[in-house]
Amino acid sequence: MEKTELLQKLAGIQTVESVMDILKVGRRMAIYYLRRLRKDGYVKTRRQSNNRRVYNISLDNKFGGKSYYEIINQYSPIKISTSVIHKIYGKEPSLEETLIYAIQTKSLRTILASLALFKKINNWIELYNLAKKTHIERQVGALYDLARKTMKVRRMTHKFRSSALPKEEYQFEFVVSELKSKDFTEIEKVWKIYIPFNKKDLEEYQ
Amino acid sequence: MITIDQQQKLLLNVARRLTKKITIYAIGGTAMMFLGFKDATLDIDLVFENEKDRAVFKEAVKSLGYLEMDAIKVYGAKRNTPEMFRLNDERFDLFVVEVIDFIFSDNMRKRAEQIHQFENNLILKIANPHDIILMKCATERIKDKDDARRIINSTKIDWEIIIDEAKKQIDLGKDRAAFDLGCFLEYLKTKMNLDIPQEVLDKLFLIVEKQAKDKISK
Repeated sequence: MEKTELLQKLAGIQTVESVMDILKVGRRMAIYYLRRLRKDGYVKTRRQSNNRRVYNISLDNKFGGKSYYEIINQYSPIKISTSVIHKIYGKEPSLEETLIYAIQTKSLRTILASLALFKKINNWIELYNLAKKTHIERQVGALYDLARKTMKVRRMTHKFRSSALPKEEYQFEFVVSELKSKDFTEIEKVWKIYIPFNKKDLEEYQ
Repeated sequence: MITIDQQQKLLLNVARRLTKKITIYAIGGTAMMFLGFKDATLDIDLVFENEKDRAVFKEAVKSLGYLEMDAIKVYGAKRNTPEMFRLNDERFDLFVVEVIDFIFSDNMRKRAEQIHQFENNLILKIANPHDIILMKCATERIKDKDDARRIINSTKIDWEIIIDEAKKQIDLGKDRAAFDLGCFLEYLKTKMNLDIPQEVLDKLFLIVEKQAKDKISK
């Protein structure tokens, strides 16, 4: 059987038994196919509490690299499952980059999960520069204030705050289009940014 | 042949030599590798958004020792052939917007959802399988027919996307799009026994018929 065909049939979480079932082969052949895929880097093996082996078979395992979602899931109690594929190779994306990416997705749950990154972010210069490039400094500031209300976060530098705060003539902008907050209007006024969350949305952080 | 590992190392090496951030689209065998349809390819087919980006990429590739080669040897005397660079068994085919008889349209760009970023400067977007099939019919190489067969056999094809894109290509001035696609799919259906609905072929030839009538009436 061709490797690509094998991969397509077995992609996902498998056990030896499920491989036997899918390929309609005996135990020996199932283990042989798993070995073949593992040799090429497609398989990651874990052991369950009862010592049974579980195989995670995926093309992603072969490619390696890291995605922004993996980083968010690593640091956030709110986990994201997504079909979006954005892999990065040859460098480890910083938390600052990851936060900016999350805000740019305009996805409610991704942004909510990424609030946890403020606990670890400490390179405010990098964060400001990245935010300025994409004109979302105020969104970052507003989400920081929001995160600060719900969890212990590192302190934002004075320079970031003073540079990012809106001038009088600035118009209100959205983080996620058409979504405004009922509970965080003070933060919205300070940053002239509509926050897409209410208190109830942040319950998962408590 | 280039394997997935070799391709990744190569793209990382190129990314390190790029002087600015560029976004490119992988088509053909390269895209198929990223989508899991094959594990090795003869050439790395890339589409650039503009000539400037291709120039930046060319410089990086040349600095790795790749030498320019004549596209006629591979593609014949077709229009919009790529600039080609070769080192040993590895080859880059670099297109700008137009891929032989097709335009890498805005819709194709939107459908290229999978992103692979190499270091900071190289953003590689992977063409959608439907668009890979469409572009495979631009060449007359047997390996392209075989690649199309692999895609059709391995994934669920929404034929409407392919037909709509053929229409779009005609709007963009590529008059042969529906004809070439129709002939290509007919070959796959009759000679390679692929499960392509007859309705799809009928729709494509209706488009061609209409094109012919329009031309005669003009």
